[in-house]
Amino acid sequence: MAAAERGAARPTGDNRTSRRRRRRREHCLRTSGLEPGAFPGQSLRARAHVGLGRREASSGAGGRPAAVSRGRGVGRRCENRVPRGAACWGPTPRRARQFLCPEASGDYFEDPGRKGKGWRRPRALFRLTLLARPVKAECSVLYFWVSNLEGMGEFKVHRVRFFNYVPPGIRCVAYNNQSNRLAVSRTDGTVEIYNLSANYFQEKFFPGHESRATEALCWAEGQRLFSAGLNGEILEYDLQALNVKYALDAFGGPIWSMTASPSGSQLLVGCEDGSVKLFQITPDNIQFERNFDRQKSRILSLSWHPSATHIAAGSIDYISVFDVKSGSAVRKMIVDRQYMGVSKRKCIVWGVAFLSDGTVISVDSAGKVQFWDSATGTLVKSHLISNADVQSIAVADQEDSFVVGTAEGTIFHFQLVSVTSNSSEKQWVRTKPFQHHTHDVRAVAHSPTALISGGTDTHLVIRPLMEKVEVKNYDAALRKITFPHRCLISCSKKKQLLLFQFAHHLELWRLGSTAATGKNGDTLPLSKNADHLLHLKTKGPENIICSCISPCGSWIAYSTVSRVFLYRLNYEHDNINLKRVSKMPAFLRSALQIMFSEDSKKLFVASNQGSLHIFQLLEGSFKHLHTFQPQSGTVEAMCLLAVSPDGNWLAASGTSAGVHVYNVKHLKLHCTVPAYNFPVTALAIAPITNNLVIAHSDQQPLPNDKTLLYNPLPPTNESDVFRRRTAHAFKISKIYKPLLFMDLLDERTLVAVERPLDDIIAQLPPPIKKKKFGT
Amino acid sequence: MVQLRPRASRTPASAEAMVDEGQPASEEAEHGLLLGQPSSGAAAEPLEDEDGEDELDDEAPEELTFASAQAEAREEERRVRETVRRDKTLLKEKRKRREELFIEQKKRKLLPDFLLEQLTAAPHTDIKKSPGKLKEVNLQKKNEECEKGSDSKKVKVQKVQSASQKSYLALRLKDQDLRDSRQQAAKAFIHNSLYGPGTNRTTVNKFLSLDNKRLPVKKAAAQFLNHAWGIQKKQNAKRFKRRWMFRKMKTNKSK
Repeated sequence: MAAAERGAARPTGDNRTSRRRRRRREHCLRTSGLEPGAFPGQSLRARAHVGLGRREASSGAGGRPAAVSRGRGVGRRCENRVPRGAACWGPTPRRARQFLCPEASGDYFEDPGRKGKGWRRPRALFRLTLLARPVKAECSVLYFWVSNLEGMGEFKVHRVRFFNYVPPGIRCVAYNNQSNRLAVSRTDGTVEIYNLSANYFQEKFFPGHESRATEALCWAEGQRLFSAGLNGEILEYDLQALNVKYALDAFGGPIWSMTASPSGSQLLVGCEDGSVKLFQITPDNIQFERNFDRQKSRILSLSWHPSATHIAAGSIDYISVFDVKSGSAVRKMIVDRQYMGVSKRKCIVWGVAFLSDGTVISVDSAGKVQFWDSATGTLVKSHLISNADVQSIAVADQEDSFVVGTAEGTIFHFQLVSVTSNSSEKQWVRTKPFQHHTHDVRAVAHSPTALISGGTDTHLVIRPLMEKVEVKNYDAALRKITFPHRCLISCSKKKQLLLFQFAHHLELWRLGSTAATGKNGDTLPLSKNADHLLHLKTKGPENIICSCISPCGSWIAYSTVSRVFLYRLNYEHDNINLKRVSKMPAFLRSALQIMFSEDSKKLFVASNQGSLHIFQLLEGSFKHLHTFQPQSGTVEAMCLLAVSPDGNWLAASGTSAGVHVYNVKHLKLHCTVPAYNFPVTALAIAPITNNLVIAHSDQQPLPNDKTLLYNPLPPTNESDVFRRRTAHAFKISKIYKPLLFMDLLDERTLVAVERPLDDIIAQLPPPIKKKKFGT
Repeated sequence: MVQLRPRASRTPASAEAMVDEGQPASEEAEHGLLLGQPSSGAAAEPLEDEDGEDELDDEAPEELTFASAQAEAREEERRVRETVRRDKTLLKEKRKRREELFIEQKKRKLLPDFLLEQLTAAPHTDIKKSPGKLKEVNLQKKNEECEKGSDSKKVKVQKVQSASQKSYLALRLKDQDLRDSRQQAAKAFIHNSLYGPGTNRTTVNKFLSLDNKRLPVKKAAAQFLNHAWGIQKKQNAKRFKRRWMFRKMKTNKSK
């Protein structure tokens, strides 16, 4: 009986190591409060699942950690070694102390409570402002600023690991040299824009769409961004208003490739049915011009000759060269199917690049990088670089180097170097391999100073080229960007709820609680596990842009591209009633950011037309109070909002313009903080002083790498002098995995949401098999 | 008289045949009843004649005055005329009915009237409706603006217009199906060429175990367990536990 009981309680089997593994995602389950002989059913708590007509399968099945983790802490002993991923609930190892910001230059800071518009440098910052991304790729560094509260003491920290978020893989990368920006499209259709000069900050994003399946992305005519996908449509994005300007069907079936002409006035599209279509870019639209000679199979890659007279098109088993004027195929170059002497399946030409001297470089599924002479249609040179597909290629503007990405996760750098030291004859040489990815590299880009790659493993890797870098500082370091630079989590402080935002659904969790106490660094057992309360699925194919839960926990709002949804939650013991508030006003079509006031009586919505709407929330309904129109002549969308805890002030910032501060009581614009060179990444208003804290992407107030930092020590250990010497504004904690969210629940409780990278890798598609020596 | 009889009997037969062509059963029955009248009339005539013949057999021929014979002949003539006329009117009526039936059938094939009306009137109503809507929205806007007295009326109206224009999207389902199937085929192609047979893929678990094998501290595999195993056993255990709980509760109560 005992065996059966155990099997039922832990559907995943009994093994020491598996236990540890399971524990990684759980909030905390090392309970010893319950006696071992407890009733077997007692630990299985009743859960309330409210969804839109669907309930989750309760336990055991599927990879949902919520379901797996239920009721498993019965009679478990604590282990001596803290497992690496063990979620815990405990005070931070060190005491928080009075921290003063020693030097914070360049960061504007304002006091909306004072009538005068005086600018001050920040001296004491209250309320934690967080950067929701790892600052360095390998280690997660958490910076948080805590203000002068001497008696603040220790924190209890909820370390949450049940946010089962997997970022979608990267499909395309396009670099724009003019503005030094990078456009990245992901497999769910999301398009993100990174500003490389602003410390690789993700400035803008366009939410995805289920049917879009973006396959190609390019910049044209300066700074216009186009994408094309398997639904056969070409899209243009409005970078100011942050929406899709228009979608145009190319009438050639799914689109596999797209490039803009060197002058940027024409767009070339390769389709499933073998047609290559030329579009003329007009100031506010694109217009079909003509078809090139139709090929037998799909066109998977395209490249323009820099003089725009010829194009190369990669298909299955061959590459064709077209004359742009006549539109006819001039050359057809058959790619060898042979792979290490064995005839493989069809050879797919994943990428081509046309150089100005007439050389065509192709990369294919047989693992070859080949150089062709387009004038004669002959193979000049072939490099076999991989056992698997070579999936992407990007050439530098000077045509002296290019980069290819393989399915094994390696990127190779090829350079044009002279054969001997003083001869003018040059040849292409494979110089450097980089292995920063674990999975396929689906897209690469070559900026003047860096190699950029992205792939199925969801990392965007920016590898600066050391020979192009002048000063070796932090900017020259390797960057790995995995998580979106926006907050996917909101928190209800009063009810201790967390709302997680996924692409197509929302999850509501109640945090666990503990009755135990301990000293610094202890992991406390949970007396009550975290609860999955709600799984809210959206209708339709559009992704969720933003979501928010009110501080009182009784309102949930989220927005897609076409609609804003507002829900009212009622809690009755263990049950939740969810009621949708209907009749959202017609002018409220989509929101970039939603926020509730601290008393949950007001709702602030930043729409993508640049206006800010204020709603008053009543019991089960709402009333439109006011709309702040954008400054005349600007259509810039607002992306960040902050509300003061007393509810009187609202700060909003766009992507590049300054921060506007509004007076909510009198419903008027109070003042505008002048724009800074770097975009705003986070905003917060301090509770008592009403000071506005703005964090910019240059991380200016944060110490640079040269500063010596000491972690403040517990006050009892050291002498006063030593303490004063080592005191500074920052407490740095490196114990966390990549942090997606952090907030204060109350004065002594923090909640931190971590997302270990290993958990993400475990949910990705299978990688290529590699033989490793010694395994 | 001899000529008339077959004519009278022929017409209903032909009429019946015509009606038979395409009629519902109920109407056929109706027509059958109606058409029965002339045939019965025709059947009654020979009966009378037979009576006369019998009389001839029994008795000697009566002497008839000219006047009576003339009257009889006139009467006969009148009767014949009347039957002809009656036949004609009947035929007319039948034709009329058939005509009506055809019209009705034609109508039945068409869409219902109210739908047709709607369809023809739709563009007009649209034009009529949308300004009305706009007016309503404008009124709302005005009310709001009265409260705050702002100067952004024009912008708002434009916004509403654009919103109302894009509130629906007309699609032909046929095209959508074609597009979906093509998209599916394209996705299948990319999946097959990246993850299909012959692509030399491993599993995530094996991949992660590579690092683990070289680490000084060995850890468990990322996905240590195969959840598909022992489903039946797990279910049995669950059922057993439920029963066990139930039994336990019962014994507790009895104590």
